[in-house]
Amino acid sequence: MAKRELFWGIMSILVILSAYFIPYTVLTGVERWYGSFLLWILVGVVVIIINLFITRNWRS
Amino acid sequence: MSNSFIWWGIVIYIIVSLYIAYLSRSGKETSMSGYFLGNRKMNGFVSALSYSATTYSAFMMVGLAGLTYRGGVGALGFEIIYFAGVTLVAFFGPRFWLVGNKYGYVTPVEMLGDRYNHKLVSVVIALASCIFLIPYSAVQLAGVGYLVEGMTNGGISFTTGVVIATVLAIVFSFIAGIRSVMWTDSLQALLMIVASTIVVLLLIQGLGGFREFFGTLEANHPETLTVPGNGFWSFATFLSMTVPWLFFSLSNPQVSQRMFMPSSLKSLRTMLLGFLGFGLVYTLVSVLWGYSAIIMFPGLENADKATPSLLSSELVPPVLGLIVMVAIIAAAISTIDSIMLTLASLFARDVYGNLRKGVDERRQLAIGKIVMPIIAIMAFAFAELQLDLIAVLSVASSAGLAVSVPAIIGAFFWKKGTAAGVIASVSISGILVLILEMTAVKPFGLGSGVWGLASSTVLFIVVSLLTKAPTEKATEFIDYVNSELKQKLSPNKS
Repeated sequence: MAKRELFWGIMSILVILSAYFIPYTVLTGVERWYGSFLLWILVGVVVIIINLFITRNWRS
Repeated sequence: MSNSFIWWGIVIYIIVSLYIAYLSRSGKETSMSGYFLGNRKMNGFVSALSYSATTYSAFMMVGLAGLTYRGGVGALGFEIIYFAGVTLVAFFGPRFWLVGNKYGYVTPVEMLGDRYNHKLVSVVIALASCIFLIPYSAVQLAGVGYLVEGMTNGGISFTTGVVIATVLAIVFSFIAGIRSVMWTDSLQALLMIVASTIVVLLLIQGLGGFREFFGTLEANHPETLTVPGNGFWSFATFLSMTVPWLFFSLSNPQVSQRMFMPSSLKSLRTMLLGFLGFGLVYTLVSVLWGYSAIIMFPGLENADKATPSLLSSELVPPVLGLIVMVAIIAAAISTIDSIMLTLASLFARDVYGNLRKGVDERRQLAIGKIVMPIIAIMAFAFAELQLDLIAVLSVASSAGLAVSVPAIIGAFFWKKGTAAGVIASVSISGILVLILEMTAVKPFGLGSGVWGLASSTVLFIVVSLLTKAPTEKATEFIDYVNSELKQKLSPNKS
């Protein structure tokens, strides 16, 4: 596994862990749309950005 | 909505999709890779839409909306964890693709058998996939049943819906194998995303706009905006449901097989990014449907009826409701036909082809075509049992499939992995998942997926260390992948 792949792998794991733990800790009391609802959507957007970077050099 | 109106919708859908399936034919396919992989020449855009339609179907529009209705925002988190797990395709996609091209693999299971240098590896994983994917197909069929029954207030029965879906799935797979499946999938995916997004915009507008929509939720149903919320999404439940889902893109052969199909890495990239764009919108739409149902129809007995209730409500124009209903039926079918094709290829190539000597491609293909309707009928029987909530059943299937994940990761990253390790981890952990599911036992509150994955990881590592690895094959396989990746993905090369 190249260093670049390893870096993005670790980033992905961190993002996934945040999707598990933040809603169940910081946001358990935030009964608003900008609580867990927004956080998980942002995680989705970050996942897309990470995938854009990982696949940047895939050519035909 | 009247029955005849719905029948017209279904008939138009059948005619259009049969026509598209017919157009997708390209001569008579006599090879396994032609029929099941489109000769590894699928373009990125069609691959992306088809990957989306195969993954997202009755489960999302009926199941995820139902899950949101049942437990609130945790359903979004659950689906986003799956979504994040698709990043695995960014790591494993090029690897599957490279070895698929080099060694000519038709199924991911065949790849594992070759890599671990033992036919029994393929046989065991293929059988496990069949056992766990049939309930998953049944889930899709049940989705169609609930949808038509709910939208016609019982005018068209659950069973009629399930029969239509089963027959169409068989027909679409037969016409041109994966080609007809992927083209009909693409049409359905486009229809679904456009129509369902319009519906959600209408619903939010009808319920007073974004601010009032969430204002109502915050005021009247605040527990639906947090986890554990009303208690449904305890952390243990969340973990149990998401862990197998996180690995869906690797563990489910009907989607991992797709990594063999694109014509180039560029097409693979289009497939992945296209799917992610589609998936995020679709996830959001399905969750917002669930929220709309909470506001409009609190107190439904069965959460899976949330979507049909919305579609037949006064906020959605009947024609649009009909289009979405047909799109959901279509996508449920596209998931089943993809699973049928994959299972047929697994059975023909990895079970039959390995257990009987001297079976040529033609014979394998013939066996595959016989197996497809049998799989469909088994799924039909399962669907008729109407066992549990759609989402819960889907997760149970992924729990069983997830036991092959350590073997898949090991194939590319661990030269010491052995066939005995794979066979022990998949068979014992598969049985463990079955027992936990059947007895509904949850040790420490954790579901079968967590225990299955933990047990398969430990067994794979321990048994592999105790047995002799196929060093020569492992070295050749892994070194080939690494050197090709280095060459193909170096940033400097134009």
